[in-house]
Amino acid sequence: MRPSPLWTRAFHGFNLLLLLLMAASGLEIYNANPVFGGREGATVPELFTLGGWLAGGRDWHFAVMGLYAVNLGLWIGLLLRRRHKRLAGSGDLDTLRASVSSPRRRLASHRLTYTLMLILLAFSLLSGLAMYKPAQLWWLVSLFAFAEPAGFSSWQTLRVCHLATIPAMALLLVAHVLLSWRVGGLRLLRSMVF
Amino acid sequence: MAASPEALSRRRSLGLLLASGSSLLLGGCALNRWSAQVGEATQPLNERIEGLLQGKGPVPEFRRSQVEPEALLVNSFNGTPTLAPGSYRLAVNGAVRRPLNLDLATLAALPQRECVIRHVCVEGWAAIVAWSGPRLADVLALAGPSPLGAYLAIRSADQYFETWDLASALHPQTLLATHMNGAPLPVANGAPVRLASPIKLGYKQSKWVTGLELMTSLGDRLGTWEDRGYEWFAGL
Repeated sequence: MRPSPLWTRAFHGFNLLLLLLMAASGLEIYNANPVFGGREGATVPELFTLGGWLAGGRDWHFAVMGLYAVNLGLWIGLLLRRRHKRLAGSGDLDTLRASVSSPRRRLASHRLTYTLMLILLAFSLLSGLAMYKPAQLWWLVSLFAFAEPAGFSSWQTLRVCHLATIPAMALLLVAHVLLSWRVGGLRLLRSMVF
Repeated sequence: MAASPEALSRRRSLGLLLASGSSLLLGGCALNRWSAQVGEATQPLNERIEGLLQGKGPVPEFRRSQVEPEALLVNSFNGTPTLAPGSYRLAVNGAVRRPLNLDLATLAALPQRECVIRHVCVEGWAAIVAWSGPRLADVLALAGPSPLGAYLAIRSADQYFETWDLASALHPQTLLATHMNGAPLPVANGAPVRLASPIKLGYKQSKWVTGLELMTSLGDRLGTWEDRGYEWFAGL
């Protein structure tokens, strides 16, 4: 198997590094006022944080944010323009529903998983922007008002949603690696990263 | 795939780089010392984008029924100073034609404005608060500001210090609040006079304000927290 194109591999390696930096600095910010429990809430162990203190965590988070947005935008743009058949569509859902062929089902789940990952990455960017500039992007914050009838302010919902992208991404990442393994074996995995 | 020794060594070195990079990250501490440099390298670009985003137009406000009194936490840098309302004076000086010492009656005689806005703390929490008082722009106008004025320094009774860009200070929703949620400002929240604005993080909104100085350029001190590493513009 030939290695995947350079830009594919570059995105994978770079994105993994940026995601680790964003998650670790984000958890540092979390510790300044835990989303769950506020000032009395449990904090994340220092081992998993980046920045040293709140201002340091914000330094890293807002420094990497731009690179993260550009990297993700380029990747989605390239996939849509040059490799549109790579993204999952309704055809993959039909395959999962109807096909009895295991390889076809695996490929469909694989495509659905990495398409979901891209959507989740875009969501983490949008929910982060809403929190970064809530006055200017007030309409983005107001999208998170859906839990107000249940007594949760749009701000709290926004914080929970932005934080939830970390565990959601971790789960999808595990599924993505396992499915890549089933679809293409170790060679596909290696051809994607290095 | 025909694995040449060259490709393997490239892959191996990349793998080593990735592994050492992630262990550095998990160790955390090694990268923590670079935080300030990373911030300084990227903040000018971020501030430029923030400045572009921050139009002069008003920010949409909330309804009074949406106010969240219990969500507003209290932070203080240096205790809680108690100022006697009778002897309170707000100094307005610097690049102005008429330096002033304003008492509370003069501030109360100015047009009063109520803003129901989201107060966002750098720590991550936020609360919807109804602030009211005169506009900061109206107070500055009394002193006859010089057209060369570009920044505003704000001094507080607890020695807290802040500097603002003048455009944010003159924003129509930036208030010198004397009331909160319809009642006189509590001491813990900055009585008798504090800054309140929907377009800045909480640490820019000084409590117990006693002095305003219009400046033509920024001095050595940017602010109590800014000098310790927080970003200066801190726009929302």
